[in-house]
Amino acid sequence: MRSAWLLWSCAGLLMAAGPSGTPGTPLREQSEKSTLATGLACVYQKDTSSPTTVVGLFAAGGKSAVPPGLDGLAYLTTRLTLEIPDEGMVQDLMSQATRLSLLCSEDFSAVLIECLSENLEEALRVAAKIIQDPLITGLRIGRTKEMMKLYGRSEEDESIVAAHNAVMKAFFPEAGYGTALYGTEESLGAIDRKDTIAFYRRFFSKPNLFFCVETDLEKQPVQALLEKYFAKFPDGEAGGIAPTPPAFPSNRDIGLPKDTKQTYIGRAFALPAPDAPNQAKGDLLETLLGKGPGSRLWGLRIAEKLAYNVDAHVTWTKSSGILEAYLQTENAKSARASEALDRTLADLQDKGITDEELRTTKTMAKARLLRSAEAKASRLRTVGLYEVLGLGHGHLTGISEALDKVTLEDMNAFIREALSPDRILRVTVGPARPGRPDDPIRQRGPVLAYSAIFLYDAKRFLDSSAARAKSSLAMSGYCWTSVL
Amino acid sequence: MVARNLRNASGFSGGLLLFCLMASLVSARSVENPGKYFVLDNGMRVFLYEKRDLPLLHIVTGFDVGSKNETDETNGLVHLLEHCILFRGTSVRSGAEVSADIRRHGAYFNANTGQDLSLFEISLPAEHAEFALRNQKDILFGLDLSPTELDGEKEVLLEEYNQMEDDPQRNAVDLVLQALFPEHPYGRSVYGRREVIRTATVEGVLGFYRKYFVADNCALAIVGDFATADMERLVQDVFGPLPKTGLRLEPLPMTVPLKKSVSQHFERDVREGYVFLGFVAPDCNHADQYAMNVLAEVLGRGVNPLLPALLRGERDSVQTVSMSYLAFRFGGAVIVSIKMDPKDVAMIQRAAVGYLKRAHNEAYSKKDFTGEAEISAFDYLESAKNQIRFAVGQAEESGLQLAGSLARHLLLNTRVKPGRYLDEIDRVDSSDLRKTAAKYLGKGEYAAVSIVPRKREKP
Repeated sequence: MRSAWLLWSCAGLLMAAGPSGTPGTPLREQSEKSTLATGLACVYQKDTSSPTTVVGLFAAGGKSAVPPGLDGLAYLTTRLTLEIPDEGMVQDLMSQATRLSLLCSEDFSAVLIECLSENLEEALRVAAKIIQDPLITGLRIGRTKEMMKLYGRSEEDESIVAAHNAVMKAFFPEAGYGTALYGTEESLGAIDRKDTIAFYRRFFSKPNLFFCVETDLEKQPVQALLEKYFAKFPDGEAGGIAPTPPAFPSNRDIGLPKDTKQTYIGRAFALPAPDAPNQAKGDLLETLLGKGPGSRLWGLRIAEKLAYNVDAHVTWTKSSGILEAYLQTENAKSARASEALDRTLADLQDKGITDEELRTTKTMAKARLLRSAEAKASRLRTVGLYEVLGLGHGHLTGISEALDKVTLEDMNAFIREALSPDRILRVTVGPARPGRPDDPIRQRGPVLAYSAIFLYDAKRFLDSSAARAKSSLAMSGYCWTSVL
Repeated sequence: MVARNLRNASGFSGGLLLFCLMASLVSARSVENPGKYFVLDNGMRVFLYEKRDLPLLHIVTGFDVGSKNETDETNGLVHLLEHCILFRGTSVRSGAEVSADIRRHGAYFNANTGQDLSLFEISLPAEHAEFALRNQKDILFGLDLSPTELDGEKEVLLEEYNQMEDDPQRNAVDLVLQALFPEHPYGRSVYGRREVIRTATVEGVLGFYRKYFVADNCALAIVGDFATADMERLVQDVFGPLPKTGLRLEPLPMTVPLKKSVSQHFERDVREGYVFLGFVAPDCNHADQYAMNVLAEVLGRGVNPLLPALLRGERDSVQTVSMSYLAFRFGGAVIVSIKMDPKDVAMIQRAAVGYLKRAHNEAYSKKDFTGEAEISAFDYLESAKNQIRFAVGQAEESGLQLAGSLARHLLLNTRVKPGRYLDEIDRVDSSDLRKTAAKYLGKGEYAAVSIVPRKREKP
């Protein structure tokens, strides 16, 4: 009986799949990039699956553009662009159910406008007015800072997010990517109105902005509306933020004490900068390690019974990818789990993968990509991210080809290099144990920040399963704050 | 994989929206709505819905069994079974073989257990449709469990239990529901009791499995890139041979309002303060569901909720507020969740309860005013309806969500002719909101859970 089932299953596979299993072009309608009459670039993609539109205005000022000592400046400034001074405007947006929100990440900040397509013009009219002429006053800055302190503090209630922030701080200790998204008590105190205005003027200028649009509406009328209402951004100069490469931390063990029933045990590694081949290999490694039943970490759950939650995740910046692989285990099992995690990673690094495993992982990675492309808002954020990273908006479809091009030799060389034992950063969050190192970051002061009203993992778009894992939603430094 | 006990407070009304949307799909097929409903000879209910924008296929198989079907002695078995079915193999494949097959086909694979239902999901490239159906049939109807496999999954389940208890939100909502329905099966945790999980035997688990995991207690919803006629043939071929058992489940009593409010207070290693409030609400087939859906949107969800505005007016430290409506088959709950500075917990809890008790006095629509006041008044009702339209639009984009909602609808709906959801929402007026607020919030007692940081001993 068992062999009959397997025979059928394999026959199905042989009939269905080509060399890599899944089709290469996931989207029915391709994205197009053009330059508006106003000089701003615009990526447009048609999607008639629902009568809604999502418009993203991406600015080149993310965490990487934050100067030393001014943690939180990118978030604060972007948040202030969404302050609506006129009660009438607020009511117009509210009554039409238009949502304004912001997304602040490693290499960019973005304002997102989501609405019923029938209300797009009104949504753009109001959004354009406030974004192009924001009310940056001391009072509003003060109020936003207070809100950011609350968001920052609540991050520490989630082990996965606290660990992620500690990892980023360790790899980028000076500034930029390692800064606290919501700032620290000290940095928020140091930011004044001039800093905010300077940041706004620098990054909300034509060379540093582009639009992404996902809509059921036709291209021409949408572009005409963007040209009509967003014509006031100054020319300015390109931001010129040089991406900071990760520095290998001198302290390889981070321990964040927390009185919980489970201990978070993670390992982090720096991957190469994301050109198309490296991004594909990083995506494969993430999938291979932690995505779904049968992944390498899955054995820690199903065979070794060490965890309910096992996962791996890559945060992409212009300079690198930061890979985190982790599990959460009962405190009494933490030593065993730590050893098992190290053993799993070392085994992969040492022996690499087989051709069969590579083929399977490619199939998984492509299918995850397809699922990530289903909903408009998530697809827009992925397309925007690829554009910012220099991979281009078309990478959402091009990545399938990049995945196909990865050979077994490429992949194993990548794994050997990426997971090299001398490059491991260890992170533990849980009850303090004798002999475990204290956390130098926590000692330094409060708050590695995350959290907001809503948090979305970048991988939510790359894997709809993330919707079921609240904690993993919060990963990646992506912050998605609903303003309206 | 997940005990669905409102893991994400901001998500539950969305689920209800979809559930209701499905009423429209199932009852009003049209050219624009290429769905097909049929029942196999063995009693399995099936809905097929073409969504051809991407080459994906999403299948959700639901069973009418949840924590509502457990007793104190079996509380946790449905959740344990859900885990075993997914990962512990069948009479023809081991758990590892199932996982490997899933991976080879690029499938996302998951399940969740709730108060009413157990739902099993698979989502994969559409070309692997036959694999998906045969795989689901094999794991769902062919479970084979050894004591070793069962013991292994118990440990994983207990890890999930620990994780839930470390998460203030999941933990608190679980506790609120237990307190809100003390005399009803909905008062049992969907996560189960540790002791039941620890001591469960293969015979006990399989006994439960054989009773409830049968074709005539099952609904299958398939959404994605396929031709309906081909898919119908495939479904008949794969699931048609399953036997009909004649299982008939006795309906449960409806939930009743709490006799007296209950407040529980906990200390945890958290930095923020959390308050969760629960009120008994209408069930998923009740006529009041539409007004309750709009009311939840007006008070605590969407773009203009009244409750957060009020609470933030009281204290700047209030960080997030959301109100959600969870509709079960035999009752319902409204859950309010608030995150704030711990020092403000007691004060904010009082303010929130006080406001909700008075919500039946609010003017929700412009039509509640006359003269100049009507012109300047904000129309919360209209805004909420637009917000629901927007949410429905968004929901149509996700095939797996649609399939899950269809499966829920097939198993939970008892109305012969449910109206179009958005039409029903459109009919709700301001007085409906006040009546609903009075009935469920104004007169109802509540269950509250608050969580604050643990007091630290001074060094």
